[in-house]
Amino acid sequence: MIMPYVLIIMGLVGFMLLSSVVMSFLDDRGKFTFQNYASIFKDSVFYKSVLNTCVWVVGSVAGQITLGLVVALLLMQIRYGQVFFRSVILILPWATLDIVAGVMWRWMYNDMYGVLNDILVKIGLSKSYIPWLATPRMAMLAVIIANIWKGFCLSGMFFLAGIQTIPQELYEAAEIDGANAFGRFWNITVPQLRPVLTTTLMFTIIWTINYFPLIYIMTGGGPNYGTETVVTYIYRLSFRFLEYNKAAALSNVLFLVVFTIAYLFTRKMAKEVAA
Amino acid sequence: MRKLLLSVVLVVFVILGFGKTLTIWIGGQVAELDETWNKIIKGFEQEYGINVEVQLFGFDTYYDKLVTALQAGKGPDLAFADLGGWVPTFAEKGWLEPLEEQIKNWEGTPQIWPNLWPTVTYNNVRYGLPWYTDCRLLLYNKTMFEQAGLDPDKPPRTWDELLEYAQKITDAKKRIYGYGVSGTKTEHTTLGYMMFLYAAGGKLLTDDYSRAAFNTPEGLKALKFYTDLAKKYGVSPNPIQYHEDDYRNMMAQNRVAMAIGGPWSFPLIESANPNIVGKYSVALHPYDVQPASVLGGWALVIPKSSPNKEDAWKLASYLTSFDVWMKWIEEKGGPMPTRMDVCKASKLAKDPKWQVIFETFPHAVARPPIPQYPQISEQIQIMVQKVLLNELTPEEAIAIAADNVNKILGVK
Repeated sequence: MIMPYVLIIMGLVGFMLLSSVVMSFLDDRGKFTFQNYASIFKDSVFYKSVLNTCVWVVGSVAGQITLGLVVALLLMQIRYGQVFFRSVILILPWATLDIVAGVMWRWMYNDMYGVLNDILVKIGLSKSYIPWLATPRMAMLAVIIANIWKGFCLSGMFFLAGIQTIPQELYEAAEIDGANAFGRFWNITVPQLRPVLTTTLMFTIIWTINYFPLIYIMTGGGPNYGTETVVTYIYRLSFRFLEYNKAAALSNVLFLVVFTIAYLFTRKMAKEVAA
Repeated sequence: MRKLLLSVVLVVFVILGFGKTLTIWIGGQVAELDETWNKIIKGFEQEYGINVEVQLFGFDTYYDKLVTALQAGKGPDLAFADLGGWVPTFAEKGWLEPLEEQIKNWEGTPQIWPNLWPTVTYNNVRYGLPWYTDCRLLLYNKTMFEQAGLDPDKPPRTWDELLEYAQKITDAKKRIYGYGVSGTKTEHTTLGYMMFLYAAGGKLLTDDYSRAAFNTPEGLKALKFYTDLAKKYGVSPNPIQYHEDDYRNMMAQNRVAMAIGGPWSFPLIESANPNIVGKYSVALHPYDVQPASVLGGWALVIPKSSPNKEDAWKLASYLTSFDVWMKWIEEKGGPMPTRMDVCKASKLAKDPKWQVIFETFPHAVARPPIPQYPQISEQIQIMVQKVLLNELTPEEAIAIAADNVNKILGVK
């Protein structure tokens, strides 16, 4: 009795995709046109948003993967209260509502009464309150930091699960052979984690490209176009300017990019499994 | 079998129920006032024998919700639409029912403030009934005026006085500021610039909305003064991050002495700090050449998809009637009615804060009621931000913005 549900879901997804494709080729009066796609590539905001998306994805993913790995390794060392620490550290940021997280980070970054500035000044790292969200570059850095916090849990979880499957004997053998902690990490943990790493990388990259609420809440794509990514631009095109057809065209372009990334990763994974 | 029967009966009930119920969507600041809404709607139900379902939405989510519903042809029977360009935008998409005939024949029409009609008109046809309105004023903190040795009953009237007072109040080391400049990438920044633009004697667009009209010496002067308040004189918190709503909250904590505000600010600032009652006031916003203000508010519109258009108009005219408005003001003391007779007859006429509002209102201009307004507004926001970020000089920024606005309006 699963088939009907599968069919319904497939039908819904297919219908959405199809209607988006149809919309992207129509003009305001419902006639066929390539104008929507042409106008995207003539639009300077589009190029700006692509560049921003690259920075946003590279920064966020690098941060999330690194932090996730470090946290997973540290969590493996804990002897007592494992469940408690895992749930607090790995679940809490992930389970926090996007909107709540966005509002919370915006308050922390506030340069009139923000807690982050207060701490930085009190421990002497900064002389005055930093206006975190006031320039395009700082704002990008600020949203990336917030996104790393929000997203590292997922990669942390994956890594934690991956590390637990590494046979303990490998470490013991390495220790007997005289490998130090770094050597063990580099020559055992990292190679053993490779499949997990690839999957995690794929998921975080795709999710980060499509992730929208945090930027929307914290900066709204500003200042200027400083944090405007492709998805915030699609949102603005459709809901602020009501240019649904152009937004559909841009969504399809983005879909192709995401699809390509997913395809490349899965092909690589399939090859590794075959090898 | 029994189950089947039951579900058939239920479905019939639901269909019948839907047929007779009128739905109204209420968005924006009045959403906090749901008890009063229920009371007033009950009055309508008893008088006309029509069931009404009221749905209230917060301001942040309302626009997306309404646009999605209208686009899908699944809107309510009667909806609130912001006077900042929503009505013509929706009308252009063919989502709204024209109300020209009903408005022409309605007895209340001559009582509506005349400068509101352009906000609900598209191609010379009226699509909405303005329900409540407001205009932007100078909101200021009397305690902070006193602390700086200024007379709290004499707010600044000109730009020079505004600057002088703001400089006296500002103490950047303690993070206390005289005036709040809105510079976020939101509508507030456009509104802020428009207040200064019209006060300098400038205009946003030509009278027929066909091209940009702010690239003039007046427009440049307004842009320079507006951004210099933050950049050169430093009397504002970092404007890129804040807008008037943030400044209102800072004002409640005695951190910012002056900012743009309006009638809607009163309950909000008092809920942010109950001790501020009586220690803040409003005045005409300081001006350079002529008094200026920008109006806002909400209109009632009937979506094309509604099956109960006649009843919806009954509800719209009932809500905008003299008696209902008087009841509303008696209970809540606001917001500002779109009816001039209610403004004159109700207790508001005796309140000095409201007197300022009624005096300012005739000077208030509407945002251009054209479908392209959201894009134009964004160009203004970008212009202000580029100057604030020192990426462009005011001269360059205003020329680029005017150019882009003309492109959006299709000027060849």
